[in-house]
Amino acid sequence: MSAVTMVAAINAALRDAMDGDDKVVVFGEDVGRLGGVFRVTDGLSDRFGPQRCFDTPLAESGIVGLAIGLAIRGYRPVPELQFDGFSYPALDQALNQLAKYHSRSGGLVDLPVVVRIPSFGGIGSPEHHSESPETHFAHTAGLKVVCPSTPGDAYSMLREAIECPDPVVYLEPKQRYWTREEIDLPLRTEPMDQAVVRRAGDDVTLVAYGNAVATAMAAAAEAEVQAGLAVEVIDLRSLAPIDVDAVVASVEKTGRCVVVHEAPRTLGIGAEVAALVQERAFYHLEAPVLRATGFDTPYPPARLERDWLPGVDRVLDAVQAVWEQ
Amino acid sequence: MTTTTYRQAMREALRDALRRDERVFLMGEDVGRYGGCYAVSLGLLEEFGPQRIIDTPLSESAFVGAGIGAALGGMRPIVEIMTVNFSLLALDQIVNNAATLRHMSGGQFNVPLVIRMTTGAGRQLAAQHSHSLEGWYAHVPGLRILAPATVQDARGMLWPALCDPDPVLVFEHGLLYNAEGELAADAPVVDLTTAAVRRPGTDVTLLAYGGTLRTALAAADDLAGEGTSAEVLDLRSLRPLDTATIVASVQHTHRAVVVDEGWRSGSLSAEVSARITEEAFYDLDAPVARVCAAEVPVPYAKHLEEAALPSPGAVVEAVHHMAA
Repeated sequence: MSAVTMVAAINAALRDAMDGDDKVVVFGEDVGRLGGVFRVTDGLSDRFGPQRCFDTPLAESGIVGLAIGLAIRGYRPVPELQFDGFSYPALDQALNQLAKYHSRSGGLVDLPVVVRIPSFGGIGSPEHHSESPETHFAHTAGLKVVCPSTPGDAYSMLREAIECPDPVVYLEPKQRYWTREEIDLPLRTEPMDQAVVRRAGDDVTLVAYGNAVATAMAAAAEAEVQAGLAVEVIDLRSLAPIDVDAVVASVEKTGRCVVVHEAPRTLGIGAEVAALVQERAFYHLEAPVLRATGFDTPYPPARLERDWLPGVDRVLDAVQAVWEQ
Repeated sequence: MTTTTYRQAMREALRDALRRDERVFLMGEDVGRYGGCYAVSLGLLEEFGPQRIIDTPLSESAFVGAGIGAALGGMRPIVEIMTVNFSLLALDQIVNNAATLRHMSGGQFNVPLVIRMTTGAGRQLAAQHSHSLEGWYAHVPGLRILAPATVQDARGMLWPALCDPDPVLVFEHGLLYNAEGELAADAPVVDLTTAAVRRPGTDVTLLAYGGTLRTALAAADDLAGEGTSAEVLDLRSLRPLDTATIVASVQHTHRAVVVDEGWRSGSLSAEVSARITEEAFYDLDAPVARVCAAEVPVPYAKHLEEAALPSPGAVVEAVHHMAA
């Protein structure tokens, strides 16, 4: 066992996948010579050569389009879009081609593409570098969307995503890049479409993913200290599809649910989770499902982001609100 | 009052705006010589000339970017994107520039831009030309999203949208262009911020917008035949949502069905459902139901397309299910 960072875990997953299958190729802006702006692809170009890990122009639509073409010809491309806010130029390719080609070909063609996107805020970067783009991908029929919150999951879920015959959007919580976990690589955790319980409790269910899992865990610990509440924390891991059974099983036990995410509240993943929970567990609910989220504004400048992001206080306010109803 | 089509009402709104304010101009693919892919701008080139009715190349990112620049420079551009399906090519301009420039400039610059686009399925245009992505845009801070569902709103929403200092997206459902309605010659200025009760009722609230308003109204007719009184609410403004009107309706009917042509997961219907639960939980007699498009690429075959889209029958079924 050693303390592995999420960056190192993702790097190892890419390396191991490339070792195991020479059809796996990695490309994107600065992923080759530089090794990625977050060092995620460090050493891959040296190890596998510029045919399998290479730099692209700053053209996200082209990057995803290239991945689609390569996948049609039998490759397993793992393109990187350098930042969340840069994903928008590629969304036409993602929605109109990547998400549809399997169906449009009558099931003849698989597109085993994994689009990696360093995502979310909390690292002192401004707008365009701190967005939460998951709603756009999760709403797109034909795409799977996953988001690890730990180094072990980051490794396991990326390996699984690369093995998946269908396109997967793999969101990397960059604020968690340098967190460490004692693990032995390679490892496999739960299947990537399953949510997991990070902390068990009977009083309130917190549902989170990505950076927000750590916030939810801290809030759960604080709620226990402050109010003696046993808060269960569910890490969604998969945003499309959502493992609604896991969430409902928890809410049937607790009767109370708060969803935590960084994305602006309106039409965030929290809306879908809240809608699903009340559809499936309405008669178990003791209080309305609440949301502790980012505000409905563009991402703020760095000096304001701590106030903008949903922190422990915002989560605790929501926990208190559902508990007291 | 005269009977007019949604298309004519929208054209009259454009003509009125072009006459009222010299800063207003229209640009987009085929809006000029061809008169618009859906014939909305037919005749405007002849009336207003090529300086104000401008055909653009097939380059959504470029002409939406040009619209943003013109808005920053003091004009009041109306940009037509032929359909929402093509708007993804301009998504970066819309999300990263139009929606954020006011914030990024510390309030120094605003973008008074109106983008019109056709949305929706139902015309056998298959997977790439049948999207309903209103929910995508309604997630984006900095945008106002409108969905005129009636002839009156098609006529009335454009001018107040142009008066908004910030970017406004107007979604026009493709099946509505031939719809007819009554329009007064001195049509009043409409409010952009409120939802409207299109049919009062007492037993269940059906919430719809754009193309699904007709679906909800048809379902309400069917339900009335069974003795169920359905209230039909037209959301009209998708961002911001008029939560107060939504909640007020649900507080007297105690049941709600959201009808949304978007794919269910992560759709506008989810946000509406979540808000009803947050604000009216103790008034609800049943969980909020959603009737949405099937989560598949919209099929080409007519019978499959019909099966994939929300129908009055599915809405009635959802109401039956919650009454059971």
